[in-house]
Amino acid sequence: MNLIGDLDDACWVGDIRSKALHNWGVGVEHTVQGEELDIFLFSRMASFERASPALKEILLRIYSAEKPIEVDHHLYEFGSVEYHIKSSASDPQFTYLSISTPLLTQGVLLSYGLSPYTTQMVREISADFLEIVEPAKEGYQLTLRLDFSKIPRDVDSLKVITEVSSVQAVILSSQLKEMLRNVNSRDTSQGMYKPIKLVYHPREPFYVIRQSQKIIAVFPMRFKEYSDVIIATSFFQELMDVGSSEKWAKVPPCSWSPIPPPELRGEPFEDLSTNGGFVSFDISSRHIEGKRLDKTVWSLLNFYAYVKHHVKCTRGFIQRRMRKRLESLVEVLQNSSLEEDGRIKKVTGWRYMKKLVTLPSKSKILKRRCGDFTGKIKRIRFRIKIHGFGRFRRKWLTMPKFSSSIGYTKLE
Amino acid sequence: MANTLRLYLTCIRNTLEAAMCLQQNFPCQEVERHNKPEVELKTSPELLLNPVLICRNEAEKCLIETSINSLRISLKVKQADELENILTKKFLRFLSMRAEAFQVLRRKPVQGYDISFLITNYHCEEMQKQKLIDFIVQFMEDIDKEISELKMSVNTRGRLVATEFLKQFI
Repeated sequence: MNLIGDLDDACWVGDIRSKALHNWGVGVEHTVQGEELDIFLFSRMASFERASPALKEILLRIYSAEKPIEVDHHLYEFGSVEYHIKSSASDPQFTYLSISTPLLTQGVLLSYGLSPYTTQMVREISADFLEIVEPAKEGYQLTLRLDFSKIPRDVDSLKVITEVSSVQAVILSSQLKEMLRNVNSRDTSQGMYKPIKLVYHPREPFYVIRQSQKIIAVFPMRFKEYSDVIIATSFFQELMDVGSSEKWAKVPPCSWSPIPPPELRGEPFEDLSTNGGFVSFDISSRHIEGKRLDKTVWSLLNFYAYVKHHVKCTRGFIQRRMRKRLESLVEVLQNSSLEEDGRIKKVTGWRYMKKLVTLPSKSKILKRRCGDFTGKIKRIRFRIKIHGFGRFRRKWLTMPKFSSSIGYTKLE
Repeated sequence: MANTLRLYLTCIRNTLEAAMCLQQNFPCQEVERHNKPEVELKTSPELLLNPVLICRNEAEKCLIETSINSLRISLKVKQADELENILTKKFLRFLSMRAEAFQVLRRKPVQGYDISFLITNYHCEEMQKQKLIDFIVQFMEDIDKEISELKMSVNTRGRLVATEFLKQFI
């Protein structure tokens, strides 16, 4: 279950945008613009990649290296999936890949190995260059020995390595497929089939109920924030609307309800207490025929992640819109003050002109001349001190101070 | 613009034009060398005018409180459903957090309202009165428009994403 980054950040980076469009075979010149492009990118990226990007990169590096390289990497994904990749220069033929992943179980997390069906599915990825090592490395559920020299030259090596990188998705999908196959009549009680509780993430269990004609998948939705609940609820409404339209008659009917569906009657109360309601998909036999089974299982396993990714992206979208709007609102206010500033400047200019034209009064001329004279006296520097000259200067050369009758007097 | 909205906004504009005649630099009567917006402190009843409440409906209203040196405008924005409610809250909170960019925006709205503006005599000195009124009225128009557009965009996104999800089953 791999998610390609966060679209909110990614979609605004030109390189990623053009690269993504290029990868999907869409010419930049012919695509939609702006917001539509954003949604387009979401829709493409939200179909989660099965292959782990980091694992793929490391395996490709080992494969394409000209001479054997020493690799000993530990990778962690989503906090619970761990990969260990080991390749040594002393044994260049083999690369060892160990995986530890929480298993999809009926209510409890198991720590022991994989079922024969899952093992078989892993083997089917590529029987030529992939071999399961028994027993698996300590602390891991599966160890694979990869022999890159056995990849045929005429086969697209990138495709093969991508398939190996999606081993965790294979494990997860095969478990659900196996569970759906193994449901039998002994789970029935009073004519109703018992729901199977599947736990991949401890906080996100979901139920699968097998009935005579169909399989019902029920997702109790829980969100941390109230705003997320509202965004998700509007998404569920749209999901119901789209699913019920004639154009989409072939897809599994989807329903959303704030209360638990009757099929979950008898389940523990804590599992049925949600804030986002319950989303149900009615999966009929035509949805699990042949290749569709794999797609359906993968879509169901990723439904939680899909909804959460949508909520996260929508929150980012709202934030971007608000930021953009803030700028335009502030601009209106700034324009008003700028224009006002212009008016003030004009007024200042007029006052300045008036000041220049006004003639000085006689008292001001006298004051200015006296000021000039005392300034000259002050500028004189006597190098030789003459006794009594200071008293003479204070008496005869200092201008007397005039106090104005209309001026303010500073109080001591 | 809907006819009722135009009437509502015209009424607010006229009221603001009448209310925005603030005395320049009126010192506080209680504390020496202080000059504070009287509409906030409400220390002297003789400095306050009667507040005017303009309602378009129960969900949309505007309270204009006037004093000798300041004016407070509080708005309650329409919220038809839960989605509009969270969008309005998010948007107005976003704006209030950036109140310094607006100068006249109050960081916390008056109780019972979604957003408040405080216009003092200093703002009236710095900015043109008419432009300030235009800003308030345009702000009200823009908020309504923005919330409606945001709601539509969120729903459109939801529809497209739902379509993409269901495509996987075909």
